[in-house]
Amino acid sequence: MRKNKWVSSFTVFALAAVLIAGCSNNKPSDSASPSESPSASPTASASESPSAPPSSSPSEGPKDGGTMTISTFSDIVSVNPIFINDTASGDIDALVFAKLYDLDRNANLVAEPWSIAAELPNISDDNKTYTIKLKNTAKWSDGQPITADDVIFTFDTVRNPDVGAPGISQYDKIEAINKIDDQTIEIKLKQVYAPFQFSLFASITPAHILKDVPAKDLKTHPFGVDPAKTVTSGPWMFSEWKQGQHITLNKNPNYWGEKKPHIDTIIYKIYADQNTEVQALMKGDVDMTQAVPLTQIEPLKAKEGIEVILEPGPTYEYIQFNFKDENFPDKYSPFKGQKTRQAIAHAVNRQGMVDNVLKGSGGLMNTPFLPGSWADPGDKATNYTYDAEKAKALLAEDGWKPGKDGILEKDGHRFSFELQYNSGNSRREQVAAIIQQNLKDVGIEVNPKGIDFATWIDQNITPGKFPAILLAWSLSNPDPDAESIFSSKYFPPAGQNGGWYVNKEIDELWVKGQLTVDQAARTEIYHEIGAKISVDLPYVFLYQYGLPQAVNTSKIKWAEEDAPESSLAYGYLFHAINWWVESK
Amino acid sequence: MTEYLIRRVLQSVLVLFLITILTFALIHAAPGGPTQVFLAPGLSPEAAQIQAHNLGLDQKVYIQYLKWIGGLLQGDLGHTFKNHIPVGDILWPTVKNTMILMAAAWLLSLIIAIPWGIYNSTKEYGFSDQTSNFISYLGFAMPTFWFGIILQQTFAMKLDILPLSDMYDMDKQGDIGNLMLHLVLPVTVLSLGFLAGYVKYSRASMLEVLNQDYIRTARAKGLKERKVVFRHALRNALIPIITILGIDLPILVGGAALTESVFNWPGMGRLFVEMAVSREYSVLMSITLVVSVLVVIGNLVADILYAVVDPRVQYGRGGGSAA
Repeated sequence: MRKNKWVSSFTVFALAAVLIAGCSNNKPSDSASPSESPSASPTASASESPSAPPSSSPSEGPKDGGTMTISTFSDIVSVNPIFINDTASGDIDALVFAKLYDLDRNANLVAEPWSIAAELPNISDDNKTYTIKLKNTAKWSDGQPITADDVIFTFDTVRNPDVGAPGISQYDKIEAINKIDDQTIEIKLKQVYAPFQFSLFASITPAHILKDVPAKDLKTHPFGVDPAKTVTSGPWMFSEWKQGQHITLNKNPNYWGEKKPHIDTIIYKIYADQNTEVQALMKGDVDMTQAVPLTQIEPLKAKEGIEVILEPGPTYEYIQFNFKDENFPDKYSPFKGQKTRQAIAHAVNRQGMVDNVLKGSGGLMNTPFLPGSWADPGDKATNYTYDAEKAKALLAEDGWKPGKDGILEKDGHRFSFELQYNSGNSRREQVAAIIQQNLKDVGIEVNPKGIDFATWIDQNITPGKFPAILLAWSLSNPDPDAESIFSSKYFPPAGQNGGWYVNKEIDELWVKGQLTVDQAARTEIYHEIGAKISVDLPYVFLYQYGLPQAVNTSKIKWAEEDAPESSLAYGYLFHAINWWVESK
Repeated sequence: MTEYLIRRVLQSVLVLFLITILTFALIHAAPGGPTQVFLAPGLSPEAAQIQAHNLGLDQKVYIQYLKWIGGLLQGDLGHTFKNHIPVGDILWPTVKNTMILMAAAWLLSLIIAIPWGIYNSTKEYGFSDQTSNFISYLGFAMPTFWFGIILQQTFAMKLDILPLSDMYDMDKQGDIGNLMLHLVLPVTVLSLGFLAGYVKYSRASMLEVLNQDYIRTARAKGLKERKVVFRHALRNALIPIITILGIDLPILVGGAALTESVFNWPGMGRLFVEMAVSREYSVLMSITLVVSVLVVIGNLVADILYAVVDPRVQYGRGGGSAA
């Protein structure tokens, strides 16, 4: 199983977004195109890579010193890499811990100068053994060397169910980890598992600090919470945490990497209200904000010196159908016909959502794979254009006939269902209303229902008890494998196929994708999955989205190859080690 | 009086105890739980079970309550589930921050409102009275966060003379002068809200007293108006105002979640909202308890002040409370 996350952090943000939406006039916009600042992608690649955003004039080189203030909407939980499960903690983790491997702009695994590994893993001929060489220069902030023991400790700890690490499923294919010498590790897998390489894109925790802590006490250990007790390995250190207010990261004086960070201090400042957060960016209190509410994009764009990066992030929203009859009041799932699902895809105005709700900061999705990634099948996938007439025709072909009140009926069942989403999320509220209107136009009655997020996950999502939902996946792992979401092997409660979707052919393809290590052959498999899934539609894939990042580029500078990369999970801090602050 | 106080304090302890039981039950009855928020959805049910066990969440609710209250009696407010931080470490700074903000706003509004209300009662429907009426309507009707945003736009953004948000500038943590600057806007917003009510209360209360027979008597015997107002009327008029102040006291810590959010004030209102979303039971219980204690104290203080202001009010044996 891969590490996927339902997007809960956004729900918290949405609480405030509602307040903001309440007092800002929502102009319908026939909006700017998402790619307003196209520029050449530095790493040439076959796949279209989201463009690099504005960069500084090349005439001035990097300068050392200065402070960069980043604003955020939520406080961190703990920066202990073993327990990170929220984006705020992940941000700090990315700045204070070195990773075994890093990702390049196109989400390929790489050994960067700031990675702990010296080179890419050596994979055995049977594709089951990964041999990893570490740099012999890497050091913890307390001066201790980073060795094979730290890597082995980290993976073994995450794998241990007593620890309760959220990433446990990433390492469940490991059979054994062996230490060859202080700088060499050998990982043996139980089976060939191609997505495993991305499990090596992981922060390493210090064994010399934590190895004697009993597994079940790790979660309550002050490492990761108390800055004084948190030994780190990255360019900056976890220097201060004032809860609910800010986190201060000072440059690590013992940083071991060949490349040193330019910025002296990074302040991660927590704002409770996103309107205030945006104002603070405009006033100059903060230099970068990672999530601009959609209503604030236009005023920010108008402000001189501030760049808004609109490329969507690695998150996509979808309508999920439930195929299990028990989940409907009349014990009948209306979604079983493939043509019915295709009709819904045609009936829904996805482009309208991107233009009007997302204000252009999104892109259409037809498969579970991010557009532009190597797994994206492109034109091989079926793209459902907004076409109510076609939808009506498909519904008629599938046996639906208009009833007395204009709502379609089949075998005595009215086509009416509840569409659930998390209350307080203004984006989903708007999209649910559009879906309701769009489907009404073709004779389907939708009853949108907002539910408190924690309650919803507990009562509906995890047990797979819902008629239809509007939700999103955050693809924090760049591997396209999504077996645990779509395969009939993964019904609730153990898996995430909460719609009880069954397609044996696609089930087998997911497995084939995991067993194929050769990149070209693997690409073919995911293209096939994408093409098939876009026809069968367990979900209606809506759009890829992500809250835009805004930066005061008159102060924060980077070379083009170090610009933020929206398509990566923590890409808004991509190569921050190479950024610098221009003092005025 | 002493006996009365002891009785009231004992009653209060009982009330607080009942409040904790009720709140604990209600919080635990809400669907979803702390583990829902921090466990990855893909985690196996077994692993989730282990986590719930490690945190003591698999125990019966009454056992969890007994553990919590047992810790409380020893001064331990518990720890957060998500990162095991002592609740006190999170709570007390926010209580302090909220009290600074609210006390400033409250005192300011009282200093302005009570004299103003008294003055207005003597010059009914005069210019000053009409002005205060207008401000009261404004204060009642205008959403505080909206007023806050307007002030921010004007004084922090356009004129650029005051800070936009927070308690301190990043490089001036703990500096009193800097704190004062940061207080101006949020205090203005909150004071306006308080002011609106207090001017009206004190004016109405004074008017009622000024129409009493003994005031006419006082005037009839030739006392100066000044003396009539301050010596005879004011003391009596203060009684209902004290009641209101007693009831309002918990606002000092309950805070104003919206104003705190808009001005990014690290206070308790914000904390409560955040912790409710992540279902941090111990923090929520502690906040409820702090607010409850203040409600109880507020009422007690008001009762004692009655006796101070009005000698006819007597508490204790045989006294019979006449007010």
